[in-house]
Amino acid sequence: MPKALYIDPEVTLRPQEHEIKFPEIPVMQYKKSVKDELKEGNFTKEDLLRIYRDMFTIREFETMLNLVKTTGGYNGVEYNNPGPAHLSAGQEAAAVGMAYNLDTDDFIFGSHRSHGEILAKGLRSIQILPEKELKKIMEEFWGGATLEVAKKGYTGKDTKELGVRFLIYGAIAEIFARTTGFNKGLGGSMHTFFTPFGIYPNNAIVGGSGSIAVGAALYKKVNRKKGIVVANLGDGAMARGPVLEGMTFASMDQFHTLWEGDMKGGLPVLINVMDNQYAMGGQTKGETMVYTFPARLGAGFNPEAWHAERVNGYDPLAVIDAFRRKKALLEKKEGPALLDVVTYRYSGHSPSDQSSYRTKEEIAAWEAEDCIIAFGKKLIEAGVATQKDLDAIQAKMKETIFEMYKLAIDPVISPRMDLVKDNELLGDMMYSNGSVDSFGDAKPDVLMPLEENPRVKQIAGKSRFYLDAEGKPVSSMKLYNFRDGVFEAVVDRFYKDSSLVAYGEENREWGGAFAVYRGLTEALPYHRLFNSPIAEAAIIGTAIGYAMCGGRVIPEIMYCDFLGCCGDEIFNQLPKWQAMSGNILKMPVVVRVSVGSKYGAQHSQDWTSLCTHIPGLKVVFPVTPYDAKGLMNSALQGTDPVIFFESQRLYGIGEQFHEGGVPEGYYEIPIGEPDVKRVGKDVTFLTIGATLYRALKAADMLKEKYGLEAEVIDARSLVPFDYGKVIESVKKTGRIIIAGDASARGSFLNDLAANIADLCFDYLDAAPAVLGSRNWITPCHELEEAFFPQPEWFLDIINEKMVPLPGYVPTGNFTAAQQIIRAKKGV
Amino acid sequence: MAQVVIMPKQGQSVESCIVSEFKKKVGDSVKVGDVLFGYETDKATFEEESQVEGTVLAIFYKDGDEIPCLSNVMVIGEPGESFAEFAPSAANGDAGKGAAGGTEPSETHATLGTVRGGTVSAANGGVERSETVSEGSSPSAAAIPGAPASPRARKLADEKGVNLDAVAGSGPGGRIIERDVLAAAAAQGRLSGLAKAKMAEGGLIPGEGSGLAGTVKAGDLKVWKPNHTDIPGEGTEFETVKMSNMRKLIAKSMYNSLQNTAQLTHMLGADARKLQALRKKAKKALEEGKVDANITINDFVCFAVIKALQKFPEVNSHCLGDAMRIFKTVNLGCAVDTERGLMVPCVKNSENLSISELSKALKKLADDCKKGSINPDLLASEAASFTVSNLGGFGVEWFTPIINVPQSAILGVGTMTLRPKMEDGKVEFVPYLGLSLTYDHRAIDGGQATRFLKAVATEIENLEIDL
Repeated sequence: MPKALYIDPEVTLRPQEHEIKFPEIPVMQYKKSVKDELKEGNFTKEDLLRIYRDMFTIREFETMLNLVKTTGGYNGVEYNNPGPAHLSAGQEAAAVGMAYNLDTDDFIFGSHRSHGEILAKGLRSIQILPEKELKKIMEEFWGGATLEVAKKGYTGKDTKELGVRFLIYGAIAEIFARTTGFNKGLGGSMHTFFTPFGIYPNNAIVGGSGSIAVGAALYKKVNRKKGIVVANLGDGAMARGPVLEGMTFASMDQFHTLWEGDMKGGLPVLINVMDNQYAMGGQTKGETMVYTFPARLGAGFNPEAWHAERVNGYDPLAVIDAFRRKKALLEKKEGPALLDVVTYRYSGHSPSDQSSYRTKEEIAAWEAEDCIIAFGKKLIEAGVATQKDLDAIQAKMKETIFEMYKLAIDPVISPRMDLVKDNELLGDMMYSNGSVDSFGDAKPDVLMPLEENPRVKQIAGKSRFYLDAEGKPVSSMKLYNFRDGVFEAVVDRFYKDSSLVAYGEENREWGGAFAVYRGLTEALPYHRLFNSPIAEAAIIGTAIGYAMCGGRVIPEIMYCDFLGCCGDEIFNQLPKWQAMSGNILKMPVVVRVSVGSKYGAQHSQDWTSLCTHIPGLKVVFPVTPYDAKGLMNSALQGTDPVIFFESQRLYGIGEQFHEGGVPEGYYEIPIGEPDVKRVGKDVTFLTIGATLYRALKAADMLKEKYGLEAEVIDARSLVPFDYGKVIESVKKTGRIIIAGDASARGSFLNDLAANIADLCFDYLDAAPAVLGSRNWITPCHELEEAFFPQPEWFLDIINEKMVPLPGYVPTGNFTAAQQIIRAKKGV
Repeated sequence: MAQVVIMPKQGQSVESCIVSEFKKKVGDSVKVGDVLFGYETDKATFEEESQVEGTVLAIFYKDGDEIPCLSNVMVIGEPGESFAEFAPSAANGDAGKGAAGGTEPSETHATLGTVRGGTVSAANGGVERSETVSEGSSPSAAAIPGAPASPRARKLADEKGVNLDAVAGSGPGGRIIERDVLAAAAAQGRLSGLAKAKMAEGGLIPGEGSGLAGTVKAGDLKVWKPNHTDIPGEGTEFETVKMSNMRKLIAKSMYNSLQNTAQLTHMLGADARKLQALRKKAKKALEEGKVDANITINDFVCFAVIKALQKFPEVNSHCLGDAMRIFKTVNLGCAVDTERGLMVPCVKNSENLSISELSKALKKLADDCKKGSINPDLLASEAASFTVSNLGGFGVEWFTPIINVPQSAILGVGTMTLRPKMEDGKVEFVPYLGLSLTYDHRAIDGGQATRFLKAVATEIENLEIDL
């Protein structure tokens, strides 16, 4: 949509002489021997022995876990590990080859099968980190608790050797759910990671890292941070939407066409496909997919085909060679890149998998090519080591792993979190509840002083209250509205926090589909505000990766109805990582979501309830300009993921409640506090979202016709939610209707009602009544009155369920009988 | 011109009465003196006689309804005369709206709506907060025992001491809601401080108030709950009959007494020779016209008791749990057996009465009780400072009377039996009167009680009365 990019029909529509050309994608082209590499000076003998050591370490680690799962112990020491173990025996060369060229500044993201990758990256980091730095990392981690255990029984003085013990112990302890584990035992096997070594979360959702890693790369680029980002995915993950959306996002032309200065150029991200042939039991080649080589996918995304290559993942040197070249490419801003690393997993998907989908012969044939045995042979052939040397390496690593295993299963040395005794422990880890002005350490990149911004100037001339000095309504053109409230908070943060970026569909020139961001385009360079592809999974997924690495971000979902398109990101990723990381990660992501109306069944749904159901998200739904600005300020000052709902019915509404109008300066409204919008004594209306205004109308009718005074409370926040004011109100009135635009069944309205019934039972003169939308599709705008709660419906409920209104003629049927009939029909 | 018949106010503490039965129906012609309807308070039953002649034009309630005192009950006049202006809601000044609000609220409420009409219309045609409603008249709808009540109404009922069984619900489906309890609370009055304190100890719920302006007093608190569940055999082997209001009251107060006091009984015989002599003398005096009262044995016993009580003020008392109410006068309660059940009217300032005055006073009370015309204020347990219950006429020798709380004691008088007595070395059969004193050990100790009982016996044995 940028005007700078002219879509020329002369070029676009005329017959052309050429075809679309795809670059050639190299397949298995590495042919060097160990001797060749030594001759070229690419490795020392020690390097090669370490590669062998690292591969064997992974093999023994996975063997240990496999034995624990299948025989209930290791080396005769019993242990029961009820958790998952998705093992990667067979894939060691791919993992070690992947990690060999990476620094601690280079981040890896993984999958459910990533023990090998984290060990490889960890071992590599230990090798390259200066001793002093390594020591500091270990000593500071969990206040030295993990190191303390790893040190037990160690008499040596070698920091690197201690580092290996630390790494192995931290990983086992995590897998066995111990507080000394890398994530306090809250991540477990599928999510073990250790950020000081550049190891970022593995992900139990197949392909989950596909968009998150792209966001991490975006963070590195926008914040000018060193390093590349590697997403280790399985070949099965290449079928997943988030991966394809993430690749689309990473392939955006604008990085080259529109981003300027040092920001011009591709994202430093490498999708590394651990092509182990199987997607659980499905065979990607020949059965469940069609690409034959995952590398082929690159051709679909950009003219460079993502610089894709298929390499031999059974030869660590082949993988190292490919990574060396790809890393250089990314550092030159020529990314992204795609590698298809051919490998094979010996074990099943998990120890319970009987491998019924493949033959013993097939497994045996791959075992005959085993990467560790083969590499050992090559080392002996090249004169780098003798079998005795290799045996010694094996013996030492076996001993270390056994020692760490014994320490990790000791309940005294490696205790688990006692969630029974301390019932609130995990609850207190769900949010970080921080207050951070800026996550960036640089001066924010902006294009003009704030006061020169045309939108800022325009707002300056507006009335910040809906009535003028004489009490007359201000015309809509002169009225400071909801949009302005959100805008002021957002632009303020853009000028405070250099890490802040915002993106989504039509976020830039258009100013957002609902013009909230109008004026931001003038203020911000592309790399801080840009249009994303219509790829909600990528919009949220990249935001998660961006925040995980230490940046603040406002992704936007244009319609609430599109939350389903990023379901995994909103429900499985965004809410989980703070607690699952043992509170190592922060998640300062404010997802702006617009709740529609007028546009029918797929554009008018209030899905706030879906978000409230998921532990770990904060959910707000302001409906006045004052609340919008204050809550957005709080959300942007915080460190937690906030789903920030906005109603399309209200973008133009002025401030009707806050005395003096919306303040010009910065202020925060704490998330979680409902607000009494009107005081009354006979019945309470607690509303979510735009229903507030209908409730107020109902309150007017009630007062005029029946002399009853309704107290109207705007929930403002859904999660967290402080019941204090509501309880006080219900104690006074004895009656409450909880209303919102969500379809009533299964909505958060019921949650509020249940809690109020519980907390106010003795004060209730009638059961709390829920007033939501009908359990239908949202009909078209002309029919909406029958669907969304109307002011009359409040009176209907009062008359039917609370206190009969004299002479009242109901408009809707709220009788118990009808309630039962509707439930029976499922509507 | 049509005449309206109102519900009389029987005693200052009576706020409402229950119509036991309408003897006339609409269209019946009535003569002066015809019984129009029977009604009862919680303590007595009455009959309302017609003061006028004419035709029953309207009856605003049905059998069993609780009707606020001074409310219009029925209209008598010439056929064709207008009577709508006398409808109870009209008395509140808003007949038209009330009728509309009551009879056509919504389809679903049609049945209950009519009943509720009066309540809903009570306040200016609009539903106002119950405070306003309660200041008007009480809801005229009938209470439905076991009707649903909101938690808020229940809580408030506890706080205000309102018996939900007697409250008519005006909420959806007849649910008792807050405003109904507020109205009932206003009608029945407040809870006394002591009653509140006792309630706080738990286990008690307030009954109907017997104190000033219907204040619920400690003695009105109850634990007892009527319990009639349908069980097999109903109708064939037996019939479940609802307790009358008075029966319920007796049950409540008796149960309350046994649950909430530390009562025990001492028994002592008194030589009744003198008593017999006095009775003979009195009989003769009556025959001779020297006195105008038939002074009975019981009258003499009561006379003796009054004398003894004056010497033992701590027995002539109420026990309030943490305080004693010591009476300066002897307000003697006297149990009367009537067809409707046990009644205990009292003679105030009995110490000022001569034997014949006392006799006449006791006789009048008993007659009033039997007729049902007793002043309810004299039946309140708080009215008497001490009670005498005499079962001697039925041959009962000894028994354990139940204290009429908050009184501290009660004397049961039994029959006379002949007992051998040695006097001057000679054994003689002497009539002895059985005296059974039940006392509240919280108020009185055993020695003191014994001394009092002995004093009663001594008074009886040494009674000197000129007739």
